[in-house]
Amino acid sequence: MVKCVENQIPLRIVLAKVGLDGHDRGVKVVSRALRDAGFHVIYPGLWQSPEAVVRTVADEDADWLGISLLSGTHMTLVPRIVEMLRAAGLDHVGVLVGGIIPETDVPKLLELGVARVFGPGTPMAEIIDFLRAHGSRTHA
Amino acid sequence: MATAVDRKLWSQWQREIEAAPPGEQPATTVSGVPIDPLYTPDNLDGFEYDSSLGYPGQYPYTRGVHATMYRGRLWTMRQFAGFGTAQQTNERFKFLVAKGQTGLSTAFDLPTLMGLDSDDPRSLGEVGRLGVAVDTIDDMRQLFAGIDIGKISVSMTINAPAAVIMAFYLANAQDQGVDWRKLRGTIQNDTLKEFHAQNEIYFPPEPSVRLAIDVIEFCTRHVPQWNPVSISGYHIREAGSTAAQELAFTLADGLHYVDQCLARGLQVDEFAPRLSFFFNAHNDLFEEVAKYRAARAVWADRLRNHYGARNENSWKLRFHAQTAGCSLQDKQPEVNLIRVAYQALAAVLGGCQSLHTNSMDETLALPSEHAVTLALRTQQVLAHETGVTNTVDPLGGSYFVETLTRQMAQEARGYFDRIEALGGMLPAIERGFFRREIADAAFAFQREFDAKHKIIVGVNAYQEAERKPLDILTIDHAVETEQVAQTRRVRKERSGEEQRRTLDAVRRAAEAQENLLPTLLDAARARATVGEVMVALAEVYGRCDAAVV
Amino acid sequence: MLDDLLARFGKRDRLALARLLTLVARGEHLDAIRLALAAADSAASRPAPPVVALTGNAGVGKSTLVGKLAEYLRGQGQSVAVLACDPQSPLTGGALLGDRVRMPSRPDDLGLYIRSLAAVSGNQAVAEHVELMIRLLAGFGFDVILLETVGAGQGDTAVRELADVVVLLVQPETGDELQWEKAGLLEVADVVVVHKADLAGAERMESQVRELLTLPGCREITVLRVSSTKQQGLAELWAAILACPRHDARVGDARALLRRAQQVLAERFADRVQRVGPVVDRWKRHELDEAQAADELLQLLIR
Ligand SMILES: Nc1nc2c(ncn2[C@@H]2O[C@H](COP(=O)(O)OP(=O)(O)OP(=O)(O)O)[C@@H](O)[C@H]2O)c(=O)[nH]1
Ligand SMILES: [Mg+2]
Repeated sequence: MVKCVENQIPLRIVLAKVGLDGHDRGVKVVSRALRDAGFHVIYPGLWQSPEAVVRTVADEDADWLGISLLSGTHMTLVPRIVEMLRAAGLDHVGVLVGGIIPETDVPKLLELGVARVFGPGTPMAEIIDFLRAHGSRTHA
Repeated sequence: MATAVDRKLWSQWQREIEAAPPGEQPATTVSGVPIDPLYTPDNLDGFEYDSSLGYPGQYPYTRGVHATMYRGRLWTMRQFAGFGTAQQTNERFKFLVAKGQTGLSTAFDLPTLMGLDSDDPRSLGEVGRLGVAVDTIDDMRQLFAGIDIGKISVSMTINAPAAVIMAFYLANAQDQGVDWRKLRGTIQNDTLKEFHAQNEIYFPPEPSVRLAIDVIEFCTRHVPQWNPVSISGYHIREAGSTAAQELAFTLADGLHYVDQCLARGLQVDEFAPRLSFFFNAHNDLFEEVAKYRAARAVWADRLRNHYGARNENSWKLRFHAQTAGCSLQDKQPEVNLIRVAYQALAAVLGGCQSLHTNSMDETLALPSEHAVTLALRTQQVLAHETGVTNTVDPLGGSYFVETLTRQMAQEARGYFDRIEALGGMLPAIERGFFRREIADAAFAFQREFDAKHKIIVGVNAYQEAERKPLDILTIDHAVETEQVAQTRRVRKERSGEEQRRTLDAVRRAAEAQENLLPTLLDAARARATVGEVMVALAEVYGRCDAAVV
Repeated sequence: MLDDLLARFGKRDRLALARLLTLVARGEHLDAIRLALAAADSAASRPAPPVVALTGNAGVGKSTLVGKLAEYLRGQGQSVAVLACDPQSPLTGGALLGDRVRMPSRPDDLGLYIRSLAAVSGNQAVAEHVELMIRLLAGFGFDVILLETVGAGQGDTAVRELADVVVLLVQPETGDELQWEKAGLLEVADVVVVHKADLAGAERMESQVRELLTLPGCREITVLRVSSTKQQGLAELWAAILACPRHDARVGDARALLRRAQQVLAERFADRVQRVGPVVDRWKRHELDEAQAADELLQLLIR
């Protein structure tokens, strides 16, 4: 596992809004914070289908995928995405989920292989530190 | 207002305050506006009671749109509801009516808001989740079955497909034998703010606005008691804007609608009295009050002096308020009750006409019945126990609040100039102006929060290790299956020929740039789905599914 | 690891392509990748796909138009690869790559490949080593390669050397921005697109551009009005692009020459290149010191 030092090899992270909800305040704030912390943030826009997310992650050779969801569809969409990543040979991509996730669903998501769930009110430093600590499994 | 200021006393105070250690957090509003330690008549240069403030119910309405305000009548306590199938929401509606509620407020699910049918693959997992699913006039009929819509006021929160939903509503009213002139209620129908903030977007900006104006024009002529638009700052604020941006962008949207109505040949006094507004009620009490007061004054000034409206009702900015969803936290959720109470206080001190108070569990899921009841009780305590209703505009004349009100109005006018300089509303949208301003403000707040310059109780201070989850309402997945089956059934039953014929007519009317409501009504009667109508319109209007970071 | 990647790339494994592009973007294994491509090129002898760069000020609609062109070309049955550059902060190295937002793609359509790249802003119009990325995409078999720059200004001349055709976008109502465009026009563009032709003022803009081009010393430049929103002018634009003489006369020949030289080198040195690795390995294992290793490597070369 490569630990990326700031200003060296930037980690590539796809931040995806899936489902129909258009609340992109969170994903935009995180995008900017990660950019300012030296990451390469790929933002494909709103309303991404699971298929589109996986295609983007594959073609962009991303190290991480951050899924932002606020409409409560996480238990429908996240498992699909994780499953499709696996089928596409992208198990090495770390998956984060951000948004409004009820406490009881968090363990279920972690069980699926999601690396971490970030709820509302998470300080940006927490996300940045987490990513820096875990680095890239893609470029091991 | 007293103006004499004893300089000696003032400098004595000034020395004391300079000697005092500064506070831990910078003294700024939640929007980041710096606040002085004290406001005095010095701040209100040229302030004259009669010309600068005036009386409630009189131009420029800074103190309120009614002479007596809540002494005459309380604000309307209107809670938003909707989930699952039309039948489930209908049952909830009937329950609320039985409890004496006089207005219904309809929340639609995301697919409906986005103009998609329940059986569209993109709707998967979303059907009936955050509101009610309406695909065809059959659902609309079901939604209001057994409810006398000639008597009760109905509000519908929907934007991109608002014209289609309005047509469903009107066609259904006819079926129920209710005269359109008796219909009372509001449809949000504010497509502009979707481009600034909420992103429930289907068509490009220009045809989106045209559709909104179609509804305003049609209702002005045929549904005179209906509010055909609710010009909304709520979502702009939720997306992270400052209070001043919320105010400025909302009023700018309103002015754009006015311009477009005039361009259609409507007279300002025909439609302006029916324009209504919808603002956020956020945490910063005085800033919020100043925002509402400034909103009324700026709007009245524009309508009277710029557009030459003569009807006083055209000058009055009436607004609904909702407490800030974005201020709710999932940590220690009961604390949200307290936030909501203060926010509601701000809305009432600011003179709202109706108010929705959020439930403490709304960040987590649809509100449970317990949480909804507490939210409503919050308003009732405010109305009946706190005494804030006894006098009109109790904060009027406060050096601080009047100064903030002025600043807020000034900032709004400054934004109007900037929008103008960009070429007006649509070019400013096209250049991403609003989104950029809002995203910058959201990011600025996040940095303040991360640096603990802004404290959120239970989140970046006073955290608690233990968290007991609230009981929350979950939606049965069967709703989706049921709704999909229902829509497919309608597709099978209806006359395909009628459906095609009416959709062709919609397309032709769109091409000819005619008001679409007459053809939409026919399509509604032919049981066309929301999704089918939107697709037909997109063939003429184009689609707009891109959004900027 | 690299060999494996290259082998998979040769079998048109899309994930291998993605990974190789990352390596190139990071400036790793450039020579080895170059050599491998040169060898493959000489074997295939496929004509190089046209490389079209789109440049123009921020917000002029480059991404949107790239997206529309890609869609148009897919409709014609051509496969398309897009390299979309966005600015990277020179301070933190971070970047927000948002061009994809404007380039809708069907996830099941393998004939379209979009890659977002960061380019140090103020420096260059495109990311580093783009020329090699283009060769990778060409080697993978894409029929057309579209390149979006970070925006017009500095570094545009470099774009001219990378691409066969350079399309400059301008939009209505940009009166004061016409200054640099004047310079830019003359230097780099083969085609000028007055974009957002659905907006008022497009015709005026077009005539302004045409007027500029009548200045003495200007090359033949096609001027076209295009609206991505209204889907107008795309076919005409593509026809104009194809009608442009590729920069064959100057850059094209040089590129061909370079490619040929690389092929020759690859063929001649193929056996020896394989012997470079072992020398380095021995040095790594301390079996050789630096001087000895350098000596052996030199021997390989001059033998
Ligand atoms: N009216 C109109 N607007 C367009 C057209 N094409 C793009 N736009 C709008 O122009 C804006 C910018 O488009 P982009 O494609 O992101 O522009 P860009 O040149 O790639 O921008 P950068 O990558 O930031 O340099 C967006 O709001 C588009 O919707 C068009 O043909 N007509
Ligand atoms: Mg772009």
